[in-house]
Amino acid sequence: MLRQIWIVSALNFKSLKSRFWQSMVIVVGLAATVGVMLSMLSLSAGMRQAYLNAGDPNRAIVVTKGVEQEGQSAITRAMAPMIAAAPGIAKDKDGKPLADRNLNMGVPVLRKDGSKGFTTMRGLADKGQGVRPELKIVAGRMFQPGKREMIVGVGAQAMFQHMRVGDKVILPDGEWPIVGVFATGDLLEGQLVGDTETLLTSTHKTNYNTVLVRLASPDSLDTFKKALTTNPALSVDVIRHSDWYKRVASQSTFALALLGYVVGAVMAIGALFGCLNTMYSAVSTRGREIATLRALGYGAFPVAVSVILEAVLLAVIGAVIGAGIAWALYDGKQDLFGNSVFYLSVSRTQFELGVIWAGAVALLGGLFPSIRAARRPVVEALRAT
Amino acid sequence: MKYLPLVWAAIMRKPTRAVLTLLSVMLAFTLFGLTIGMNATFAKVQEESRDDRIFAFARFGGGLPVSLARQIAGMPGVSMIAGTDFMGGYTQDPKNRVFVQMMDENVPKVMNDWPITTAQWQLIRDNRQGLLVSKMQADRWHLKAGDNFTIVVPGIKKADGTTSWKFQVAAITQDINYMSQGYLFGNADYLDKGRILSDQGKIGQFRVKVSDASKTAEIAERIVTVFANSATPLETLTEKVAFDVSSGTGMDIAAVDREVALAGMFMVLFLTANGLAQAVRERFAEFATLKTIGFSDNGVIALVFAEAAIPCLLGAGLGLGVAEIVSNVMPKFLPPGQGLPIPTMTIMVFVWAGFAAAFVAFASSALPALRLRRMDIATALSGR
Repeated sequence: MLRQIWIVSALNFKSLKSRFWQSMVIVVGLAATVGVMLSMLSLSAGMRQAYLNAGDPNRAIVVTKGVEQEGQSAITRAMAPMIAAAPGIAKDKDGKPLADRNLNMGVPVLRKDGSKGFTTMRGLADKGQGVRPELKIVAGRMFQPGKREMIVGVGAQAMFQHMRVGDKVILPDGEWPIVGVFATGDLLEGQLVGDTETLLTSTHKTNYNTVLVRLASPDSLDTFKKALTTNPALSVDVIRHSDWYKRVASQSTFALALLGYVVGAVMAIGALFGCLNTMYSAVSTRGREIATLRALGYGAFPVAVSVILEAVLLAVIGAVIGAGIAWALYDGKQDLFGNSVFYLSVSRTQFELGVIWAGAVALLGGLFPSIRAARRPVVEALRAT
Repeated sequence: MKYLPLVWAAIMRKPTRAVLTLLSVMLAFTLFGLTIGMNATFAKVQEESRDDRIFAFARFGGGLPVSLARQIAGMPGVSMIAGTDFMGGYTQDPKNRVFVQMMDENVPKVMNDWPITTAQWQLIRDNRQGLLVSKMQADRWHLKAGDNFTIVVPGIKKADGTTSWKFQVAAITQDINYMSQGYLFGNADYLDKGRILSDQGKIGQFRVKVSDASKTAEIAERIVTVFANSATPLETLTEKVAFDVSSGTGMDIAAVDREVALAGMFMVLFLTANGLAQAVRERFAEFATLKTIGFSDNGVIALVFAEAAIPCLLGAGLGLGVAEIVSNVMPKFLPPGQGLPIPTMTIMVFVWAGFAAAFVAFASSALPALRLRRMDIATALSGR
């Protein structure tokens, strides 16, 4: 049986050359479908990836009850020490809890192309580097607590003007020099970072936005969470940092991803009709050939399978071309969306999605023509001109 | 016209092929309608945006002291200033996200292009908890005038420590074009006086109206400069820039839309061109017969062109129809408050679609036409 499928399929592929332009309908249709879909998904995929990278299961974030963004959350000066005193937090070598008071605000920036945009300015307090050990200074030095200075992420430096060491950032109480450049390998790289307390004074704010803690172990979340949520003086949500970003990721990418899939689906259905068309005519032009094979004793099933295989092969070629174009155009391109710097992404997962998408279209598009090919009476087909 | 039956017979010779081609073309034009329609919406928003208004907000987030309004209003060239704020929360269940814009008493004057009557605006001034609900939002939450509507706003605490804010629907008002999911307007005083004392006396942003539209950008820059070293540095955006999609986010959405539409057209072009080439090949002898009985070269070519044009134009029409239906249904599935745009099928969308369809038909019939012009009748008739 497998041998028969192999032989019939090989024969199909050999005759593809004579049906070149017709077959190109499938290739081009799915290249366009997959290319467009992956291009559109590159933004949401890149955003999602960045958010997921930023979340660490060893960290927990404390925010005001019910908020969905860090900027909406407000942790008062009175609440911060209560949070830091809760059980379940990892301690540094001096025995101090690794709990860090964060600020999070939008700050206007100029992109390299001169257009205006916003990125995030974040305040880290004394335990900032303890909670985020991935933060490494790659040029210059770390800001000093209490001093009006900033460090800038490598992503922000690549995307915006005036972000070199020695450049100034305008804040309400004057110009702050940039003293260092840092890398984290995540979302933070697109941001500006300064000292929380100094930034609070500078921007005339009274509350922190969030408290980020390093957990004693990933399992100590429950202990920590219970201590805070049962404290009547606090009205906060405690969320594992990775879960927080999962939530942020799905909220902020939902509409974008949906749009990508809807467009992809519409195009896929269009391509499906094209595929059906091509395969029906392929089957009809090869009617005699197929009938001859049947007369020689080849079964109906191998003939049907070979038709589907041909469709799938052409579709997958198209998908790879489309995905390749999307990858070449967009993968790794830096973009700014919702105050965060992202890299558009056409990753392996995306490639696979494209190939599966195309394969599914071809499977459906080959199915009905293959049934027709298999069921056509041999005698009738042989007699036909 | 009298050749229509001839063209029709040619198309229906392979009904499966005709139907599949039509469906494929239809879908490509559905996409065309949605994307180009989206661009039409952007263009409309851009066109309706006024060139004499400026948004002013705090450079580093947070509220603006209301006292700033008087200072900005006193600047040369500024004719009026209004304050707006917003409350983002939910009603009953966190899934039901609600977004209320809070307006001060000057908004009706500055935003005088909005379709809300003076009497309606007065209702939310007379009742601080009053709420103007656009028809679209009224449908969504099943509200009518007089209803109570309570929203929970986690980010804004009331003086009593709770976060649930009660509103009464004052009137159902006409929708505003560019607020594609409708709107809810409340009274800014209710928000300001309702929250805890230390947060009071602030407003989210200003809408500044200038007296000379040619100086808008200049005044926007001047506001930034004047307040740069104040306790509350400001950032401004002119309404024209704020409403321009290509400047708002990193990607030029309008360009993406055009590319998507183009990809769809490319796919369809391949499909119809192949279908037609095949059809002409199969019926080569028939065309030779037509020529023999006296059809001119151009006549035969016209027949082929019609054979390509009918499914293209029909598919374009159907596709735009589907796009129209989709864009009417879309708002119901989108999360509110994000101001996501909805495609509009303007005349220009139809004109462009018509052009695209004609081009596809023309391009697909070009090669077969050439073949028919060069055909050797005798050879073709002999079937070799």
